[in-house]
Amino acid sequence: MTMIDAEERAAMRAGFARLLAEKCSEADVRRVMATPSGHDPALWQAISGMGLPALIVDADHGGIGAGPVEVEAIMEEAGAALFAGPLLSSAVLAAGLLNESDDIDAKSRLLPGLAAGETIAAVALTGEGGTWTPDGVAARASAAGDAWTLDGTASFVLSANIADVLLVVARTADGLGCFEVAPDAATVTAEVLESWDRTLRLSRIAFSSAPARRLAGIDGAAIERVLDLGRVALAGEQAGAARRIFEITVEYLKTRVQFGRPIGGFQALKHMAADLLIDVESATSAARAAAHALADDAPDKAVLVNLAAFACADAFSNVAATAIQMHGGIAFTWEHPAHLYWRRARADAQLFGQSEMYRERYLTALENAA
Amino acid sequence: MSDTVTAVREEVRAWLTLNWDEASRQPRAGGTREFLQAVLDAGWAVPSWPKDYWGRGLGKAETSAVIAEFARAGAPGAGQDRSNIPANSVMQFGDEALKRRMIPEFLLGATQCLLYSEPGAGSDLAAVRTRADRKGDSYVVNGQKVWTSGAMRADYGLLLARTDWDVPKHTGLSFIIVPMKSAGIEVRPINQITGDSHFNEVFLDNVEVPVANRVGAEGEGWKVMQTALAVERLIMGEGAGERRQGSFKDNSVSLIDVAREAGKLGDPVLRQEIAQALAWRQLNALNLVRAKQEMAQGSASPIMSLGKLAMSRILHGDAAVMTKLLGAASMLDGAAHERAADANYRAANAYMTSIGGGTDQIQRNIISERVLGLPKELEADRSIPFRQSRAVTG
Repeated sequence: MTMIDAEERAAMRAGFARLLAEKCSEADVRRVMATPSGHDPALWQAISGMGLPALIVDADHGGIGAGPVEVEAIMEEAGAALFAGPLLSSAVLAAGLLNESDDIDAKSRLLPGLAAGETIAAVALTGEGGTWTPDGVAARASAAGDAWTLDGTASFVLSANIADVLLVVARTADGLGCFEVAPDAATVTAEVLESWDRTLRLSRIAFSSAPARRLAGIDGAAIERVLDLGRVALAGEQAGAARRIFEITVEYLKTRVQFGRPIGGFQALKHMAADLLIDVESATSAARAAAHALADDAPDKAVLVNLAAFACADAFSNVAATAIQMHGGIAFTWEHPAHLYWRRARADAQLFGQSEMYRERYLTALENAA
Repeated sequence: MSDTVTAVREEVRAWLTLNWDEASRQPRAGGTREFLQAVLDAGWAVPSWPKDYWGRGLGKAETSAVIAEFARAGAPGAGQDRSNIPANSVMQFGDEALKRRMIPEFLLGATQCLLYSEPGAGSDLAAVRTRADRKGDSYVVNGQKVWTSGAMRADYGLLLARTDWDVPKHTGLSFIIVPMKSAGIEVRPINQITGDSHFNEVFLDNVEVPVANRVGAEGEGWKVMQTALAVERLIMGEGAGERRQGSFKDNSVSLIDVAREAGKLGDPVLRQEIAQALAWRQLNALNLVRAKQEMAQGSASPIMSLGKLAMSRILHGDAAVMTKLLGAASMLDGAAHERAADANYRAANAYMTSIGGGTDQIQRNIISERVLGLPKELEADRSIPFRQSRAVTG
């Protein structure tokens, strides 16, 4: 349910883009990625001031009540700037899980803080296999009366190192459930895994009879719906990031001179650029179409969300990798931004599952629709 | 929806009710020609053009409403301000007399063929050597054209010919409407790799054409043709080059059906390839939808120029996957082997999109230069008198 119109959406997006241009430059990204937390509290505060963590939270809990279309648009800008803050984990996945829940207590306790950006939540969705499928969940919950405890592990958890609360998907006797866990409990051991994309913080979390509170009303289907929202958000990030590194590359083709002329005059590079433009535009179209389908609960939403999941991942991977080749030696240096996009592309191509899985799901969805 | 759109929609509906029988999809009175005349007289043929020029001066949204209403009723003739290539060329570049004389003919269904490419001027179209020499009020045309579809039945040929050999190649061309019934025109079909003969060679031997049939100024032919060609490429990007026209869904089902028939729908490797082939098609469709939305909002979309290049990959990709699914059976042909015949035809016909109307390589040049602003190709003969070009000297 979208409660803001296209004009407000465009204004919000433009405001976010201005903020990122000012406070999330390449220099800022490099500064923040070198810190232990990988987090920029001042920037997060400014983003919170714009209401972005409140995007999909309903008005009763201090939110804006927007939906996938707004999330996708914001994530395009976040991706373009390689923003690495907790938008995806806290504002999309955690808020999405709480929206799916009918747990009045948890919602009233957590959502206002999430919406204000004062509470940061991390969502643990998969185990060390990193498949983001029900089979891949390696945390187990057991009940003793009303009290739950968690054992096992979760991994590749985004933003867990700065989280005030963990929402952990775990196996139960009656299928998957979602559990609220305090990250600072002695029974919870989290370590940040060194990651190839230096801007991200991915954590492995081990639970040892960790006290947990079950979120009422979250089952496997609800988790899958939240993952769909996450897929659309990630697709938006990929589309936006692909477009930005492509623009950087085209600009370089116009200014780099070899053999007495700009290298953009050579067909070998012109043709690569033309092909990449198809990837860039297709990623944008796919991410936006998936967002609209999800927002409208359209009959073809499974087709479009799965299409966006692999089309945007493949497009960003190809554009970022090819951008390095097109730049030549300069992009093999640490100081050039191309590898930052390429590192993000490699990470994003794994988050929530690989393209092969989504192509299979896309074909299955098409077969089901036929 | 705005009030004017609603008003136009209602007016079109009322007009169609009077003149067109939706049930039988036939005019209520007279034949197609009479119906097209009525469409023209009513201003529906070219709604966005001024009232003095067969139109109604309508805006974009209103024009779209007219086209949508005619499409709904299955009635022909409306919205040719967007689709009729020669009528648009004459409207944009022709002089007043030519407009009055030719446009009604085109809007009433006169057919045309494109006399552009030559054996020596394919990708380098500006190198055409067909000559149009002035003789009083006529041009005398001599030369050879290729890849002309519909030449056998066309009423007119849209000719790109050289009228000045002493200026650089792009500036010595003129665009001339040639009646195909003229003496000295010979049309020979080309046998294609598909087995079809959609295209022809056209030989022009001392063909006399009135100078008044020239569209735009002498030497302005390149610009006129570019405008016409852009429309053709748009149409190809929407898949007009496909053998089986139809919705995306029809095509997706056919790949899935072929796999099922071949007992390979469960093969995980082939499923990846099927999914990717279908994805390319759907992504192109999503791009076109977005481009149209962006254009409706008034911003020119770069996406429209990508469609033809994207479609090449789609068509070649579909055929490759189908061939893989059929396996050894893809060696067969003929009515007894319908799937194989279809796959093989598609594999051959895909070249129509990846070569025709500008090869994929030329399309990439165009996209990188016009959309991305990269430097133009160097052309050895761009600035010298055409007479001195190797296109002439050999």
